[in-house]
Amino acid sequence: MSLVIDGREVSAAGSVLDAVLAAGIDLPHLCKDDHLPAIGACRTCLVEADGRVVAACSVPASTVREVRTSTERVERIRNGVLALTAGMGEALPSRAAGPCGDEVARAYAAPNGALSITVRHDRQATDSSNSFFSFAEVACILCGRCVVACQQLQHISAIGLAGTGRATRVTPGAAVTFRESVCTSCGSCVAACPTRALSPTSGGVS
Amino acid sequence: MPDTPALIPRRAALLTRLHEVHARDGFLDPQRVTAIAAGIRIPVAEAWESATSYRDFRFAPSSDGERVCTGLSCQLAGAEPGPGEAATGCQFRCYAAPARGHDVPFPEEAIRIAGPLLAPDVRDWDGVERARSLGRDAALAEIEASGLRGRGGAYFPTARKWAGALEQGRPIALVVNAEEGEPGVFKDRAMLCRRPRRFIEGLSIAAEVLKPHVVAILVNGEAEAARDSLEEALRESPIPGMEPWIVPGGGGYILGEETTLLNALEGRKPVPRLRPPYPVESGLFGMPTVVNNVETFANLSVIFRGGAAAFRAAGTGDCPGTKIFSLSGRVDRPGAYELPIGTTIRQLIAAAGGPISGAAVAALTGGPSGGFLAPSEFDRPLVPGPLHPTGAMVGAGGVVVLDESSDIRAAVLSIARFNAEESCGKCTPCREGSPRMLEMLANRDLDGLDALMEVVGAASLCGLGQMAPGPIRSALHFWPELFR
Repeated sequence: MSLVIDGREVSAAGSVLDAVLAAGIDLPHLCKDDHLPAIGACRTCLVEADGRVVAACSVPASTVREVRTSTERVERIRNGVLALTAGMGEALPSRAAGPCGDEVARAYAAPNGALSITVRHDRQATDSSNSFFSFAEVACILCGRCVVACQQLQHISAIGLAGTGRATRVTPGAAVTFRESVCTSCGSCVAACPTRALSPTSGGVS
Repeated sequence: MPDTPALIPRRAALLTRLHEVHARDGFLDPQRVTAIAAGIRIPVAEAWESATSYRDFRFAPSSDGERVCTGLSCQLAGAEPGPGEAATGCQFRCYAAPARGHDVPFPEEAIRIAGPLLAPDVRDWDGVERARSLGRDAALAEIEASGLRGRGGAYFPTARKWAGALEQGRPIALVVNAEEGEPGVFKDRAMLCRRPRRFIEGLSIAAEVLKPHVVAILVNGEAEAARDSLEEALRESPIPGMEPWIVPGGGGYILGEETTLLNALEGRKPVPRLRPPYPVESGLFGMPTVVNNVETFANLSVIFRGGAAAFRAAGTGDCPGTKIFSLSGRVDRPGAYELPIGTTIRQLIAAAGGPISGAAVAALTGGPSGGFLAPSEFDRPLVPGPLHPTGAMVGAGGVVVLDESSDIRAAVLSIARFNAEESCGKCTPCREGSPRMLEMLANRDLDGLDALMEVVGAASLCGLGQMAPGPIRSALHFWPELFR
């Protein structure tokens, strides 16, 4: 199948996001992990597909003729989503090994435009009960990658996304700590986390 | 209550189990949810993330105080919880505002205008027999000829949805959405309590055509009277052996979104799925799945009894038939009004005896996903699609009327708060944006609100977020001075 992305014709087989990234175009995709199915939660990989604003991760390239990644409208809306994301808390200092460190840093630096987003301060919980990694909620953007990695990649299901709306939290078991949960310390959630909210404990095995 | 039907994975028992334990003990907690998870052998974290996502479940013993509804229509009726009473969100008994206490059967007298759907209930199963004698293809052609569109609010052509599932060539799941968790809408309760056989006939017609391997009905968990009435009526089913799997819901506006409903039935966290795949391709446990609303099924009974041509006599060419409008708020006779698609808001208000105090000053159509309209717009016919560019739509047919005694600003804030509180939390724009829209509106801080509404509307994952700006945008359009 061929697809026109920002005026260039490319061949594409997977999602619109796959095609955009393969074309060498930089597009944030905070909840899409190369190793995991699309989640569609972060809404940062927004593009205009045949004139509609869509999340590129969840649209098959075969269903679209033309994609524009940088119209004024889609950039304005994408930056708005990034601003809402940044408003959830604060970025932790990106660790050297972080696969998404740059992407997250850029997300936090996105222009705010007409939005006036104040930063939330209600998410301060930490969980250091596991000796190999710790969880700092302030940096969690609820993208769901850790949960999908734990539930669908590892089939452990030590964690879930408990609660709704602003009360949604990455939660081990039935509101226990990581240590009290069935977590096997496999590290998949840590590897999947784009913001280092889940990060290896220094000195621990990561 | 029976377990899950054969063929269905055991995890699907989760919602029913949560509901049973909650009904028995009055609340859930980690210990109880852990035991439930162990009982059906699913991971505790999955049971917990699901249990904590339903509106109706409490996680601490509740007070014994009488429940007082503070939903929009009850608010307009002056509902105020007294000392020791427990304020609740909308209980969907807007026809009896201000509502108190527990669920009661939908009163016959609240059926104010009956058409073919709400006419006295059917006694025989002639519609099913006609569908059976036509056979699958001719029956589908009959539905196509009727022009029936789904009555849950999206108005998708029913025949096209069914054909989409049938062409998969795999065992089909047939799912009834009777969650009805929208403030100002109570038509499914009316149908299930008062005309259950009309609905059952429609469901049976669907079963004749689709030959589903599973029939599931998710009924709002608090609509006990509707569930009892349905179970009672199902004892005389026109299809021997058809035993629908009836699941009490856990509450949440988001359950009106069909992929969320499917996750709930599967014992998963009730949040929307990505599409594609569409439910007709891969829905309940991967089966091609048809999800229709209670009222849509009732229409099938009417179509197969009277024929497609007679059905088309009412309504519009694009959307034939009648609609059960739920009218509430400041009108003399709130209740269910079955009138043709295309009836105007002004006609509806007149049918309901007009406003109580002075003139009608505003109407909310389409509920929290719709918008407010000023009287200048009351002559718009209620047809599918946008009624006004700022947000109003027919949706599930709820119309909440405000009169001169009403506080428009308070009503708008109430609906904005509902959307903020009902966000499932899955996607960033709705989870983060909806509460911020409410705050800005409440604080008269309008700088950037337009930009925020654009982001939430365009970037959210499902209709709930995409439509959440509607009530605010429409109110700012018609009554800007109230919010400055």
